[in-house]
Amino acid sequence: MSEKVTAVSIRIGSIFVLLILWHFVAIAMSDAEILPTPIAIAYAMVGVLVEPGPEGKSAFFHMGVTLGRTFVTFGVAMVLGIAIGLAMGLKKVVEHSVMALIPLALTMPTILMVFLAVMWFGFSEIGSLVAVVGVVTPYVAVNIFQGAKAMDKSLIDMAITFRADRNMLIRKVYIPQLLPYIFSAFRFAFGMTWKIVALAETFGIKYGIGYMFFFWFEQFNMELVLAWIILFVILMLVLEHAVFARIEHAAFKWRPANKLQT
Amino acid sequence: MKSLKFKPGLVPGVATILVSLVLWQVASLFFIPVFLPGPLYLLDLIVEVYSDPESYSVIWKTLVRIFNGLVLSMFIGTGIGILMGIKKHFESFMDSWIMVLLTFPAICWAFLSVLWFGLSEMAPLLTIVLVVFPFVSMNIWEGTKALEKELVDMATVYRADRVMMLRKVLIPQLMPYIFSAMRIALSLSWKIALVGEAFGVSSGIGQKLIYWFEETRVDMMLTWGLSFMVLMVVIEIVVFRLWERHTFAWRHKIAN
Amino acid sequence: MPTDQNNGHGNVVVSVNNLTKKFPDPMTGEEFVVLDSISLTVEKGNFASIVGPSGCGKSTLLNIIAGIETHDPSDGGTLDVYSHTDAEQPRVGYVFQNARLLNWLTVEDNMTFALESQKIPKDLWKERVNKYLEMVGLEGQQKNYPLNLSGGMQQRVAIARALAIEPDILLMDEPFSHLDEITARKMRFDLMEILMHSSPTILFITHDLGEAVFLADHIYMMSTKPARIFKHIKVDVPRPRKPEDPQIFDLEKELVKEFFSVLDAQEAEGD
Repeated sequence: MSEKVTAVSIRIGSIFVLLILWHFVAIAMSDAEILPTPIAIAYAMVGVLVEPGPEGKSAFFHMGVTLGRTFVTFGVAMVLGIAIGLAMGLKKVVEHSVMALIPLALTMPTILMVFLAVMWFGFSEIGSLVAVVGVVTPYVAVNIFQGAKAMDKSLIDMAITFRADRNMLIRKVYIPQLLPYIFSAFRFAFGMTWKIVALAETFGIKYGIGYMFFFWFEQFNMELVLAWIILFVILMLVLEHAVFARIEHAAFKWRPANKLQT
Repeated sequence: MKSLKFKPGLVPGVATILVSLVLWQVASLFFIPVFLPGPLYLLDLIVEVYSDPESYSVIWKTLVRIFNGLVLSMFIGTGIGILMGIKKHFESFMDSWIMVLLTFPAICWAFLSVLWFGLSEMAPLLTIVLVVFPFVSMNIWEGTKALEKELVDMATVYRADRVMMLRKVLIPQLMPYIFSAMRIALSLSWKIALVGEAFGVSSGIGQKLIYWFEETRVDMMLTWGLSFMVLMVVIEIVVFRLWERHTFAWRHKIAN
Repeated sequence: MPTDQNNGHGNVVVSVNNLTKKFPDPMTGEEFVVLDSISLTVEKGNFASIVGPSGCGKSTLLNIIAGIETHDPSDGGTLDVYSHTDAEQPRVGYVFQNARLLNWLTVEDNMTFALESQKIPKDLWKERVNKYLEMVGLEGQQKNYPLNLSGGMQQRVAIARALAIEPDILLMDEPFSHLDEITARKMRFDLMEILMHSSPTILFITHDLGEAVFLADHIYMMSTKPARIFKHIKVDVPRPRKPEDPQIFDLEKELVKEFFSVLDAQEAEGD
């Protein structure tokens, strides 16, 4: 038990140590354009949250825009990816056809995908949607396909001998086995989506956190760039832990506790 | 050479590729080439671009940056991963920070690097390293969890010194993890290099991409982009085939 | 082999005196006694065996001798290992239950790993590798890899590795317990032959009384929880020994009876 307390206190302690180190290095360098002090950044962050920003749009507006885009594009990409992955698992023809194109999709650098999406579909919501789907859907499809391949046939056979109908099969046998794959794809894909949306906004899709990154970068305003980055990271971490960890915990209640962990 | 056996998957796979190419070519007829170039048009452009000797120095610049970023990320990442595996306190300290680092979009590092170092070689290098090393650390850390205490004990009984322990006992066990970390690192590094170059310097493939993006020339952008992608895939395959054969030579001598 | 007859310890290689070892319980933090006042002596050239049920702390004793387990003096007792060569520290060879070979090195390189770690001069390596591989019946296997060898052969390599450093003491922790009975029998025979040709000093752990009686000069019988030595027997049967030799058989029967009586007594005490 005391080991856990030590671990937590090390983590909290490390944050303080780093903040103090940062403070002193910043003062030693005394060049706010290279390294502002933590206090300056804190002020900047408060300012960002409280005051209306450029063009009168508040920080919450931008965060809302980015969040909205992220959730919508993520949802579409996930649904498409799961559908394709399942189709690949069910029909060999689909599997071989899609797998022929997957290497291209997975090798395509995100930046190139974003450029193409924006050049073809404009600096708009469609553009960001296409970019996200182009990068995330192939990844999710492959993940789900692997899950479908790994399904335990013996459980399916068992259900059939009990004369389970299709509905029962899907709900009680297929989906629970696929759920871990869906989840791991979920978390990773969500992280990818954030970054793609931020990147797309940087390149000119209006409004959002990425847009603010670029805005302040162009002005060489280190303080505000850092302030926005930290806000973004905090937002992502909160989402990661508060939301995803909880959902995952609830969905996998049936798993026994990890006996190896102390 | 193994003969190409008739695999059932080959037909739909090849058919899909051919059909896609044909559809692409047909679609390109409805648009101007600078908006949607067809595969044949692109091929011409690629030949044109690569007939110019200057193009090769562009590629070379990018490859050097990728190499530097990769090597540095591997060193830092492996060192941190091993330390995390050996010292519990370091592990508690680092794992949250690594998680935080993994959430940073590459573009943020690109911006910060430029703000710190201006338009110089440091900017893309730093961007690559900061994005890639956390992945390497995680991989190596996983590897340290699989290290066998039995072998370490045996070596301790025979009084192997630190260097012997590392060289003959620990690193060989970590090799598969170092290998897979390196594959991920290479794959990531070249993509991040493009981002880093787009903002950080005035040369290299990344810079070409953003230049043609701003000129709204899909054709030129794809010329540089797709040809570079193919080059990197070939490099990835060649490097890893060769390295695997060398490092895991002993595995091939086991009669399975 | 040069012997240091002026080291003041006579022929003694390992001297354990009233050694007690305590472990903190991982769950409760309380200390419980693993080894309780263990005393034994191993003299040069002798084969000493500790016999007891599995899991009673025999390995712990060996690990303390080998230096991979610590002994807190405040727990009580002493343990000393004396070197009879001109090396600065006593050379300890150890054969574990699993061969613990480095699978990515050849048989030869596995042995030179031990030689190099022990700082034995490089010009002696080839000679030692060849000599001891031949002694365990694996001549010609230098360039082969461990995973191409059977379990028995891997264990032989482990034995050759231990012998190659010409150790002051060779520790063996139930080395044949993971092998099938037929292979194990052969290995015991071969070990006996090795004893007859060179004279290694061996401390051998087993739960098999028959094995101990067949191989050892001295037998220390150990009870468990905590581990205590309750009898010491000298086995005076000359080598080569046969397992069907009536002397061996009788001795084994007698020791088995003793064992059961001690175990029954422990149970009656509600230990």
